[in-house]
Amino acid sequence: MEQFAPLRRKKDGQPVRYLVVDDSVFARKNLGKMIETFGGQVAGEAADGCAAITEYERALPDLVLMDITMPLMEGIEAAEKILQKHSDARIVMVSSVGYQENIVAALQRGARHFVQKPVKADVLYEVVKYVMGDDAVVAAIADGAHA
Amino acid sequence: MSSMSGDRGTELRQIFYESAQEILQSLNEEALTLEKHPEDLEALRSLRRAVHTLKGDAAACGYKELTSLAHQFEDVLTGEDLTRSATIVETALTAADVFSEMIEAHHNETRVPTGEPLRKLIAQLGSAGPAKTAGKKTAGKATSHKRSSGAKKSIATTVSQKSVAAKCSPRTKSAVVKTKVVKTKVARAEIETIPGWTEYECLSIETASQKSVPVQHVTLGLDPNCVMPEAALQIVRNILGKMGEILAFSPAEARHLSVAGDIEAAVATRETPDTLTQKCRVPGIIAKIKVATLASLRSATTAAAEAPAVEYEAEKARTQQRAEENSRPATAENLLRVDSERIDTVLNLVGELIIGRSMFQQTLLEFGKRFPKDPLRARFSDAFAFQSRVLSDLQRSVMKIRMVPVENLFRRFPRLVRDTARICNRNVELVLAGQETDLDKGILDALAEPVSHLVRNAISHGFESAEERQRAGKPETGTLRLAAYHQGNQVVIELSDDGRGIDSTAIRNKAVAQGLIHSDEAQRMTETELFKLIFLPGFSTAEQITEISGRGVGLDVVQNVLQRLKGSVNVESTPGRGTTFRLRLPLTLAIIKAILFRVEHRLYAVPLNAVAEMTRIHQSDVHLVDGHEVLQLRKEVLTLVRLGRPAETTGESKLFVLVVSHAGQKLGLVVDELAGQEELVIKALDTNLLSSDLISGVSILGDGRVVLILNLAAVAERRSRVRNELGTAPWGLLLPLAEARQFQELSTQDRPPQDLQNSIGAAAEGEL
Repeated sequence: MEQFAPLRRKKDGQPVRYLVVDDSVFARKNLGKMIETFGGQVAGEAADGCAAITEYERALPDLVLMDITMPLMEGIEAAEKILQKHSDARIVMVSSVGYQENIVAALQRGARHFVQKPVKADVLYEVVKYVMGDDAVVAAIADGAHA
Repeated sequence: MSSMSGDRGTELRQIFYESAQEILQSLNEEALTLEKHPEDLEALRSLRRAVHTLKGDAAACGYKELTSLAHQFEDVLTGEDLTRSATIVETALTAADVFSEMIEAHHNETRVPTGEPLRKLIAQLGSAGPAKTAGKKTAGKATSHKRSSGAKKSIATTVSQKSVAAKCSPRTKSAVVKTKVVKTKVARAEIETIPGWTEYECLSIETASQKSVPVQHVTLGLDPNCVMPEAALQIVRNILGKMGEILAFSPAEARHLSVAGDIEAAVATRETPDTLTQKCRVPGIIAKIKVATLASLRSATTAAAEAPAVEYEAEKARTQQRAEENSRPATAENLLRVDSERIDTVLNLVGELIIGRSMFQQTLLEFGKRFPKDPLRARFSDAFAFQSRVLSDLQRSVMKIRMVPVENLFRRFPRLVRDTARICNRNVELVLAGQETDLDKGILDALAEPVSHLVRNAISHGFESAEERQRAGKPETGTLRLAAYHQGNQVVIELSDDGRGIDSTAIRNKAVAQGLIHSDEAQRMTETELFKLIFLPGFSTAEQITEISGRGVGLDVVQNVLQRLKGSVNVESTPGRGTTFRLRLPLTLAIIKAILFRVEHRLYAVPLNAVAEMTRIHQSDVHLVDGHEVLQLRKEVLTLVRLGRPAETTGESKLFVLVVSHAGQKLGLVVDELAGQEELVIKALDTNLLSSDLISGVSILGDGRVVLILNLAAVAERRSRVRNELGTAPWGLLLPLAEARQFQELSTQDRPPQDLQNSIGAAAEGEL
């Protein structure tokens, strides 16, 4: 597995905290593993849009990875609801090519970016770096990590 | 993620394999829901979602065939057209099967099936759909051309639109879109060189540039690898919109992008070109950035050429060999998947603790007798009470881990019923009840096969055809009810149909013809006893399928599994009204409450839940009927089974009778002495240690004594066999065991309980 230069929050040097929203356990695990390689921390997970909103309120993550198609409440609606309350929420939509319209809709509602499924770690890393912008710094490779 | 390798890959694949089973299950379920309610839009959506999730997961694992099939399927499911529900259901069910095969093949690393038949089905479904977005299917990229309004357009329209779009210059196209705002033609000539900007946009730039806010001309080249240009455009819009006011933006839609090339935008912003450039560096989307300040509209083109342009090349993919698997533990999840063996180990240890508790209790009792006045005694008792309460809680908690709702078993049946009913040409409705009933996972897993067997049997032979049902005045659709519920310390799984029932006369004739019973015996047998015959191994042959409504085909398998699980099966049937199979299962196999009794000085136990009552009778109450000892117990006549020696004494002696019920049948066990009630930890016994089917397990008491647990199924079976074959009263079933004296002697108090196997082994050696 690739190891990326850890991304830390600029304000306190702590790992970037993520909320992973996807109805597939597998996808959540997969994203979780990638997040680890970015030196990030999974602050919460949710399997549907409703849970995503509560989890956001609870964890107040730095970044949300949001699937589009989910039961109960789809990703767009969840993103919209979160953004209504937290206009500065950084939401990255995660979805397949076929859902472009939905991504556009989500972007129009304030989602910051999107990554395409299947998610490639290097792409996601760049997206995260971009979306975090000035609020994240690239730290030196952590001691424990293999180069 | 084709490059996924090493442990991480294996682990992910394992997760995929497990989660895929759930996805496939829900695919099946949603398909069945849709079949029942073809108008259920939510079911269709859930179906699509299941396929979508599977696609995503499979893609991440690098399973190309699976991904592409799922992708195709998902594509044809797009749109909320419910007129095709029937075809969708058919395809979805096939898909679930094919996907399952493919996943299985990947898992076992065998050759992956091509799924060609499914591909055809999907293609048919795609073409059958009225006015589907054909462009979407023929080319993946074409998806981006689909607009929400275009979803219902016919193939022809889509194609012609595309060609029109191709011919039209993007400028005209966007001009058309914005016609209503075009009011003036000022400065049109000057901006002709910037493609795609409308007159209105140019006017805006003109107006803005006269104010103090500088206007930046941004030219962006999309990353050629970006597959979602529409979304990319939206991101660019978002970014620029945040920086300032977007005065002009071209192309308006992604479909013109290939024609127009780069994105051309004019933004009124106070940010410097450098900041703009930096903000526009969107990974994976923007490959080229050029920012130039527009002095005024007239110099737009020249400025773009002269201004110091900043080029940005998108960062390329990193090299593969960067770092090995990172060793930090996986993210915390609420769910834990654990090998069931580990839980069994814990359960086993709890079992040992329970034995330990019995030992402690015994010692405490003795201590109390010896030092009744000792103040320490009360403290011992308190400590013991506390200990046993915690131990009980521990035991319950560990048991709970192994418990899973019966739903896990039941959920597979809707599909099975549907398929079987279709093959057999029957209308069957499945009604499920009590899915939330918990049962030991091991038991539940073992039940899958027998219950499926009974379900198939019920549909293929139990139900009449629709015409026949109509003639009989029954509703055309038969009802198959599958229910689970607790009963005492047992779980009952009940499968009932409202079909034709079992013809007991046919069973009787067949059993006599096969020589299983004597004809006069047959006449005396009750219906319940006759129904029991269908579980005999030899009873089913092909020709009987018609004669006895098909029941009995492989039913001995069902019986065998149930016996292994220390459960029982019985059947009730009313001709013309239906049949009910009732499977009774212990809540768990590991620890039981039991009644202890002695036969010939040897200690035995029967599960407490099998004991209906205990009674003490005079020898004179026992009557001999047809060579059997029977007892009139209130209004019932009870067959007695003597486990020890036959009665020699006069009518004055008293007997202990344990009334046990097994598979709905009651038996009276005549025992020498009752010895109390205990919680027993059942230990499996190797067959080479003790070869008698009369004993289902063995346990050890707190004082180290060994208890043999009686297998009631075998006792009941032995009883009827003895009666059928010899016509003599059964007695002394346990005598051969009792004669192995060493058995008891070897397992003395000074032996630690863990040595159980050894002591029995030694005993058995002496015996054999």
